[in-house]
Amino acid sequence: MVRKKKWVSSFTVFALAAVLIAGCSSSNKSSESSSPSASATPSATTSASPSDSPSASPSGQPKDGGTLTISTFTDMVSVNPIFINDTASGDLDALIFAKLYDLDRNANLAAEPWSIAAELPQVAADNMTYSIKLKQNAKWSDGQPITANDVKFTFDTIRNPDVGSPAISTLDKIDSITVKDDYTLDIKLKQVYAPFPYSLFISIVPAHVLKDIPPKELKNSKFGVDPAQTVSSGPWKWSEWTQGQHFTIEKNPNYWGEKKPHIDKIIYKIYADQNTEVQALMKGDVQMTEAIPLTQIEAVKKQDGLNVILAPGPQYEYVQFNFKDENFPDKYSPFKGQKTRQAIAYALNRQGMVDNVLKGSGGLMNSPFLPGSWADPGDKAVNYNYDSEKAKQLLAEDGWKPGKDGILVKDGHRFSFELQYNSGNSRREQVSQIIQQNLKDVGIEATPKGMDFATWIDQNITPGKFPAILLGWSLTNPDPDAESIFSSKYFPPAGQNSGWYVNKELDDLWVKGQQTVDKTERAKIYQEIGEKISIDLPYVFLYQYGLPQAVNSSKVKWAEDDRPESSLAYGYLFHAINWWVE
Amino acid sequence: MTEYLIRRLLQSVLVLFLITILTFALIHAAPGGPTQIFLAPGLSPEAGKVQAHNLGLDQPVYVQYGKWIGGLLKGDLGHTFKNNIPVGDILWPRIKNTVVLMAAAWLLSLIIAIPWGIYNSTREYGISDHASNFVSYLGFAMPTFWFGILLQQWFALKWDLLPLSDMYDMDKQGDFGNLMLHLVLPVTVLSLGFLAGYVKYSRSSMLEVLGQDYIRTARAKGLKEGKVVFRHALRNALIPIITILGLDLPILVGGATLTESVFNWPGMGRLFVEMANAREYSVLMSITLVVSVIVILGNLLADILYAVVDPRVQYGRGGGSA
Repeated sequence: MVRKKKWVSSFTVFALAAVLIAGCSSSNKSSESSSPSASATPSATTSASPSDSPSASPSGQPKDGGTLTISTFTDMVSVNPIFINDTASGDLDALIFAKLYDLDRNANLAAEPWSIAAELPQVAADNMTYSIKLKQNAKWSDGQPITANDVKFTFDTIRNPDVGSPAISTLDKIDSITVKDDYTLDIKLKQVYAPFPYSLFISIVPAHVLKDIPPKELKNSKFGVDPAQTVSSGPWKWSEWTQGQHFTIEKNPNYWGEKKPHIDKIIYKIYADQNTEVQALMKGDVQMTEAIPLTQIEAVKKQDGLNVILAPGPQYEYVQFNFKDENFPDKYSPFKGQKTRQAIAYALNRQGMVDNVLKGSGGLMNSPFLPGSWADPGDKAVNYNYDSEKAKQLLAEDGWKPGKDGILVKDGHRFSFELQYNSGNSRREQVSQIIQQNLKDVGIEATPKGMDFATWIDQNITPGKFPAILLGWSLTNPDPDAESIFSSKYFPPAGQNSGWYVNKELDDLWVKGQQTVDKTERAKIYQEIGEKISIDLPYVFLYQYGLPQAVNSSKVKWAEDDRPESSLAYGYLFHAINWWVE
Repeated sequence: MTEYLIRRLLQSVLVLFLITILTFALIHAAPGGPTQIFLAPGLSPEAGKVQAHNLGLDQPVYVQYGKWIGGLLKGDLGHTFKNNIPVGDILWPRIKNTVVLMAAAWLLSLIIAIPWGIYNSTREYGISDHASNFVSYLGFAMPTFWFGILLQQWFALKWDLLPLSDMYDMDKQGDFGNLMLHLVLPVTVLSLGFLAGYVKYSRSSMLEVLGQDYIRTARAKGLKEGKVVFRHALRNALIPIITILGLDLPILVGGATLTESVFNWPGMGRLFVEMANAREYSVLMSITLVVSVIVILGNLLADILYAVVDPRVQYGRGGGSA
């Protein structure tokens, strides 16, 4: 009997460990990709960013051949463009699939030499029909031509609700698609929808490979997980995947584009964590790392040949308030007063966070639009400078009075709340502590609580049940439309306005922004939104941040025009087709 | 003995079945699911519901369990939710990688530890004994990841003598010599951990035996010390060590998460954490099952070896444990 107990206890320990691990950890991956967004914010102009980007090598001429090894800390999931929803798979997609349209450095839709479309779409006078012309020489990696049928199939599949594609919301405004001939098609919308051009920035899938799979089974197909069965269309093709270790791509022998890639082979090596990645970069095992921890920037810079690109990227972080009383222990949301929210914005030392935590990889944000983009309201948005006196004054004006323990009280409610964030993200951990301290200085008790990502999303974010959160949005689409985040049409669980924020005036402006096609007019609307939202503050916008990219610049080369563009989603691979390795 | 074995094996099957039920319930009780990971905020909740339905995740837990166990009985461990990859394709290479690493470290530490412990037991409080104490303290106290990073700094980055991490160089996959080079650092780290325990166990076990009456008798008979130690004491001293080894067996498969992470070793420890974060129920279930089987087999093996090493131990109907 003695031994039976032994293994029972061994098992119990194991099972408990399993549950503990499942219940309390969150990978870096979750923290970084925590918030892919169906929303859209232009990352337009390359705004003067504090970057010391590796200079191009003016002396060098592009060279063919060689291998580029890139490190990442998450494995890919599936490269089937219909289901892509994680960074590693997105990287692979960017290299092996040709997109219908691409983006230029200023985040404008572009028909590049490597895009499937031959020219920019023709938009009808009613702004509801887009005519698209394809290149006639584009081919799949199995040699079949890429036709208008492939484009129609891709769009129809994504917008079919049975498929469960995460991209459905970008295409659900389509009414019908008409194939006019092999290389021309018309897309008709149900309504005027100004962000639509960015829905055309999309990878196309091969109809001849996928058309016979029932929609519900698509996610289970081998396409996207088996290199041999993943027919693609980009400069490189996927050749190998060893799960958890590496995936490799090689030049596509059937590549149709006039410009061919210089680099023969690109290997993505998967590391267990970011620190291990940095070691490998320093040792020379890899030549490029897509994101290095902020704490390691100095060490990497010191090493000969290594450069760090420190530009802010298409993502921002914020504190979101909950306006629904029942989400608080005493059934009272302390955030309802506009002055109270403004006071919190004044109380937070945002510049200090940028300087000390982000170490130059970020900049202040005052609205949901990236600084320097065409929708950016600039100075029209209120910039809340760190001013705790002003904060205290505003809190007093809103009726908060110091309680016995120094914490403010109003109508018998203490100003105390839980600030949730996802554990495992060291940046958010640090920032949450700064927030706690800053708020304590003005008499507000914020208790930071790190949570496992999956649990958090399931129990708090999706149902909109939390007092306040510290989170970020990654803007995968350069359009500024963010109706689904801020409009009262999109309350949980059906929408992403998880703080239950209501502002009818803004609700209308978001719709107006979607229905105005003229870019100058649209810009005015978003600037107005930016201004109003910075006053009303459903969020305190903290900062735009970037993922510092490290490059071994003695090995990886590009011309100035082809340098990585941090402000774009997957911009760290911008124009990789033109890069070369020494 | 045969009857005993059959009884034990039958019990084991029943226990394994109960373990799967318990684990399945526990894993599903953890909040958040695979589709939450798949979706993340910002993506249409409908897409998540459709996926959950397509994957059968909207069915009651007992139905999902029934499907899983039904598959298992047919030898199918299931598929991942994220990308529908057969669990076996993910699991077996990882188990293999971990066994390579852990077995190397385990064997190396045994080869060093048992003779060292025995030697120390005959020369209590000598230089070697103190040295082994020092190594043990080091092994117990030093966090393995920290020690691993130190070794990497010196041997891989500063002096460039050994590879930094991974199992193979990218262009030398499957090359035995290359594997050996990659093993040096992680095995050093891991064996120090194992060694720390095994030296202590074998020393104290040996000391206990050496203090017993029959050893004194043997010595009194005028037997040479070597014969006393190796012929009379060793067999008995090995019994507790065998128990420890049997109980340690699951570690060989379970892996050492931190060491695997530091050295980027694609093993089970890392896999388990990755899969727990992703809520990949089938993979988690399979890992638990494999480790449970090894735990049971390890115990059984320890029992059998007991009997082999010590004839006084007998198993049979009504027979108790030693």
